[in-house]
Amino acid sequence: MSAVIEIEGLRKTFNSVRNGRRVAVDGFDLTVGAGEVHGFLGPNGSGKTTTLRALLGLVRADGGWMNVLGAPSPTHLSQVAGRVGAIVESPQFFGNFTGYRTLRLLALAGGVPVSRVDEVLEQVGLHDRGDERVKGYSLGMKQRLAVASALLKNPELLILDEPANGLDPAGIREMRDLMRSLADAGVTVLISSHILAEIQLICDHVTIISRGRRVAAGRVEEVLAGFDQHEFLVRVAEPERAAELLHAGGLPAVAHPDHLVVGQVDDPTTISRLLGEQGLWVRELTPLRPDLESVFLELTGEGAHPEVPRQVDSGARDRVIELDTGVGEGRGGDA
Amino acid sequence: MKLVRAELERLGARRFVQLMLVLLVLAFGVTASTTLAGSHQPTAAELIEARNQAAESRRQMDDVYQRCVDRVNGNLPPGAEEEYFPADCSEVDPVRQERLPVATDFLSGVFVFSQQAESLLYFLIAFLVLFGFLVGASYIGADLNSGGVVNLLLWRPKRMTVLGAKLGTLLGGVLGLSLLASVAYLATFWVIGQAAGFPGHLDGVFWRDLGSVHGRGLVLVLLTTVLGFALATLGRHTSAALGTAAAYLVVWELGARLVMEIVDTAHPDRFMLSSHVGAWLTGRVEFWDATACATATGFCDRVYALTWQPALAVLLGLTAVLATAAFLVFRRRDLI
Repeated sequence: MSAVIEIEGLRKTFNSVRNGRRVAVDGFDLTVGAGEVHGFLGPNGSGKTTTLRALLGLVRADGGWMNVLGAPSPTHLSQVAGRVGAIVESPQFFGNFTGYRTLRLLALAGGVPVSRVDEVLEQVGLHDRGDERVKGYSLGMKQRLAVASALLKNPELLILDEPANGLDPAGIREMRDLMRSLADAGVTVLISSHILAEIQLICDHVTIISRGRRVAAGRVEEVLAGFDQHEFLVRVAEPERAAELLHAGGLPAVAHPDHLVVGQVDDPTTISRLLGEQGLWVRELTPLRPDLESVFLELTGEGAHPEVPRQVDSGARDRVIELDTGVGEGRGGDA
Repeated sequence: MKLVRAELERLGARRFVQLMLVLLVLAFGVTASTTLAGSHQPTAAELIEARNQAAESRRQMDDVYQRCVDRVNGNLPPGAEEEYFPADCSEVDPVRQERLPVATDFLSGVFVFSQQAESLLYFLIAFLVLFGFLVGASYIGADLNSGGVVNLLLWRPKRMTVLGAKLGTLLGGVLGLSLLASVAYLATFWVIGQAAGFPGHLDGVFWRDLGSVHGRGLVLVLLTTVLGFALATLGRHTSAALGTAAAYLVVWELGARLVMEIVDTAHPDRFMLSSHVGAWLTGRVEFWDATACATATGFCDRVYALTWQPALAVLLGLTAVLATAAFLVFRRRDLI
């Protein structure tokens, strides 16, 4: 499968008098193959939006190499811009313009037939509200309008930064269906999102970024399999005694008030057998499969210290210190 | 071309532009209606009386000049020596006057187009200068601030082309509107002069002079439009241009002028943009320099002049520098 997006060693540092030097992206790599629906995950301030902005020529990279649809970006981006639809971080529109006029002006500027405007308004469910001023739109409607603007070009590649922002559950489902139908039509989709369950449902591939670096990438099931601890949830009458028995049988187990979690289980019948031999009968035996959220939290360290208030992009600041002192690598880089 | 067409539609659809157009029409309407209400077509008797008054006025000027010459030659009759005359009689020589009294000077309550067209045109130019600066600043400032430019760059990832198209469209739009407004404005007052006033002496010299003022005014409108656009681009916001203009007026035109007067700087007005604007519009402005003759022993002229050529060079240079800076900064800027 040919690569539609290739990023290698992308680096970007922001310098400001007030905030000093901040490394936003630090040698990041990303590959998106043709026809993929690719999830791009990372905590706030991890470098997702900076990466997408650099890819789309809105931010000047300090280093690295990027390619979009075979054209080096940003130098030759204009050659393929007509085939790339994108929204970056909830775009704002003039409140005084109607949704229709907003899209019409973009279509005019991009040389797209104006007839496409009605089609994309229909596609995102705004057809009946297209004649209303944008300032009357809800956040979700503005998001739909943004997606409509990205779809105007009938793109081969769709880059969406947080497309589900502000959408209600029904809207999220519609967006998911839209992404799927686009993917079925052969459109490659790169979605950056915080809604991990949605990414798991929509995407077939995923890349996770933390502190400006890639910490995981691949097919979703492969990434999840890499974190499968072969754990099972077991419900029995006496969890603590059961845990001791399983330990003695060579299976690490952690007892909880009403259940226990057993790890390194290759054959779940071993659990039933060990406990049954001692008169403890298993009421429930459920495999614990990792989901994207748990993998994400583990990789990015976001869930490590729930009692400590988490700081946005604190990882990136840590990185600066490490670079300045030359000591060690960040956790993200090691993963 | 498609980009320019889209930008032109966007420019016309902007609420601020529409508001400024309404203000222009309102100002136009108020000026025209008050002129119309305060004017009447002169009767034959009024015209004859005005012509007589003008002739009498010219005759008096001739008389004063002649008596001044007589005094110099010692030919004044007894008792007339106490009358005041300038030392240099050429100052009252009617031939050397910029203009002689004409009948229209003595038409009371009559709008005379030939006499008032120029000042009316200056008012229009002043409004269009303000319009150009504000629209130029808000057109790019609001787009940069709202993410409109980012949206556009996602479609046309060529920054210089996008910014150039915006500036070109803006200048074309402002020029087109200025021409339309000028024609409508002057035509309206010409009709008022014909129907409810007096047209005056509208010869080739009059139209040439009026055309010259109009042309210079349009250049000034375009320059201030570029200035507003460039300042807002550099500052990423409409208010950056407005703030810079306000700061310049207060800090430099008022504050620095005061300081220069205190420290007796020679010819302080030449450092002020307003002086150059005046020189460009009128062709030449003269200033009085109180410090000029402090050490002079012989004849010393305290008056100095600014002419349109260096004034245009200053205005063009400033605009070119700021516009170039805006394009260079926009080319490299991170759009976040």
